[in-house]
Amino acid sequence: MRVQKVLAELQDFYVLAVRSLVGIFRKPLYVRETVEQMDYAGAGSFVIVFLVSLFIGMALSLSISTELATMGLKMYTGKIVGIAIIREVGPVAIALSFAGRVGSGMASEIGSMVLGHQVDMLRVFGMDVVKKLVTPRVVSATLMLPLLTVIGDAAALFGGYYISVFVSHQSGSFYWSQLAAVMSFKNLFIGLAKPFLFGYLIAVISCYMGLATRGGARGLREATTAAVVLSTIMILVANFILIRLLFLVLGMDA
Amino acid sequence: MIELENISLAYNNHRVLDGVSFTAQFWERLAILGGSGEGKTTILKIILGLIRPDAGRVVVDGQDITGLSESQLRSVRRKFTIVFQEGALFDSMNVKENVAFCLREQGGYSDEEIDRQVETLLKRVGIERAIDLMPEELSGGMQRRAAIARSLAACEPRMMLYDEPTTGLDPLTAENICGLINDLSSGDPGERKGNIIVTHDVVTASKVADRFLYLKEGRVIFDDDLPALLNTDDPELRKFINSLLLIGKEAYPTGG
Ligand SMILES: Nc1ncnc2c1ncn2[C@@H]1O[C@H](COP(=O)(O)OP(=O)(O)O)[C@@H](O)[C@H]1O
Ligand SMILES: [Mg+2]
Repeated sequence: MRVQKVLAELQDFYVLAVRSLVGIFRKPLYVRETVEQMDYAGAGSFVIVFLVSLFIGMALSLSISTELATMGLKMYTGKIVGIAIIREVGPVAIALSFAGRVGSGMASEIGSMVLGHQVDMLRVFGMDVVKKLVTPRVVSATLMLPLLTVIGDAAALFGGYYISVFVSHQSGSFYWSQLAAVMSFKNLFIGLAKPFLFGYLIAVISCYMGLATRGGARGLREATTAAVVLSTIMILVANFILIRLLFLVLGMDA
Repeated sequence: MIELENISLAYNNHRVLDGVSFTAQFWERLAILGGSGEGKTTILKIILGLIRPDAGRVVVDGQDITGLSESQLRSVRRKFTIVFQEGALFDSMNVKENVAFCLREQGGYSDEEIDRQVETLLKRVGIERAIDLMPEELSGGMQRRAAIARSLAACEPRMMLYDEPTTGLDPLTAENICGLINDLSSGDPGERKGNIIVTHDVVTASKVADRFLYLKEGRVIFDDDLPALLNTDDPELRKFINSLLLIGKEAYPTGG
């Protein structure tokens, strides 16, 4: 009975994940909704992403340069900070902030529309709820998170630069040249492929949880929490699987 | 014609409907009475195919809709519209955009046409002054009126479903809403737009319906007209319609 329910939910989730994408190719296209969601998810998340990344970059640079200094290798700070930010820390940290802000927002908004019968009303009016509510959010998150990641990475690298030069007293130009060396196609590809997947996952999970909301204010709390918790776990799991795959594809050995 | 045959439904092992059957014509004015939590809202959702029953069939115009997919249900749902308890207005849009919602979705209307239609509809339900307000700025009665206007814009439904249209309203506003419901379903039987109203307020029901169903423990245990309702000898039902019996002595012919 329990297993059956879990399987049924997995199936629903799978159906939603696919149908939200199919919605992109079928009329009507809800352009206005999509733009609105992009504004909310993208422009609205700029400040949090910028701050989170800046401080992560600074903290990372501080820790690493201090540690390297004991070995007399301080000048490699730029290289290590660069790889860490571009490949791992940037995409994951920004996706986690995004899940906390945008994922919870999507789940609670759709959840309260369910509880207020607004979703039922859309269905009575003959609308495809997945197309109308889910597709714009999935499209917006999938496109906006990579953009935010580029901005966040830049902020983090700049934070790293600030610490290396003004706190750890290294040469600024050397920091940048170290950084330039790690900006290879592989590293950038890995760092930018991830947020597409993360954005998609966050939006599908959050919309699914929102649509599954039942049982008043308490149900809304549970839906929102589940959206963030599940997104968090899925980001980290997907991150690991994706690097494993990309390493195989791009031919890097662990 | 709408036929419900032996509808049963449970939410997580909690049985709500247990073999509900009734038949109604589109032009009928029907009230489904019952205490709260008896499954009244659930019945309306089942009629619209928003919830699938565990057992039983819903037949609309001879078509069994129980197993239909969401896109197949679209044409069935066009025959109805529903006004949910709190109106279920889209809370991110103002009244005007709510009422214009279906016109915009259908497309093919110019802005002027939409403005004109919205104005006409708001006048018809009597809240033309609220056109620029947001749903949360409306009183309960205005929310219902706006929701009715929005539903009328959707299409020409053959039957209106109302979920507790007067619950939580003051008596005067409730009276006005009843008047509006009656306006919308005026005309000769056989041609007019019917309604199914679901409520625990028997006074409201008596004003807008001429056939009454009483829902108890998941079954329909009473199905008849007003005189029969007033003369029922079921003690439980008599208690339920007590407020109606009190005014009934003067206002309604009890036939006995
Ligand atoms: N989505 C749901 N999940 C679980 N229980 C529900 C759900 N919707 C309604 N119920 C329960 O089913 C019963 C009937 O609900 P409802 O049809 O809303 O009753 P009514 O409209 O007569 O007050 C109630 O006990 C309610 O708690
Ligand atoms: Mg109800």
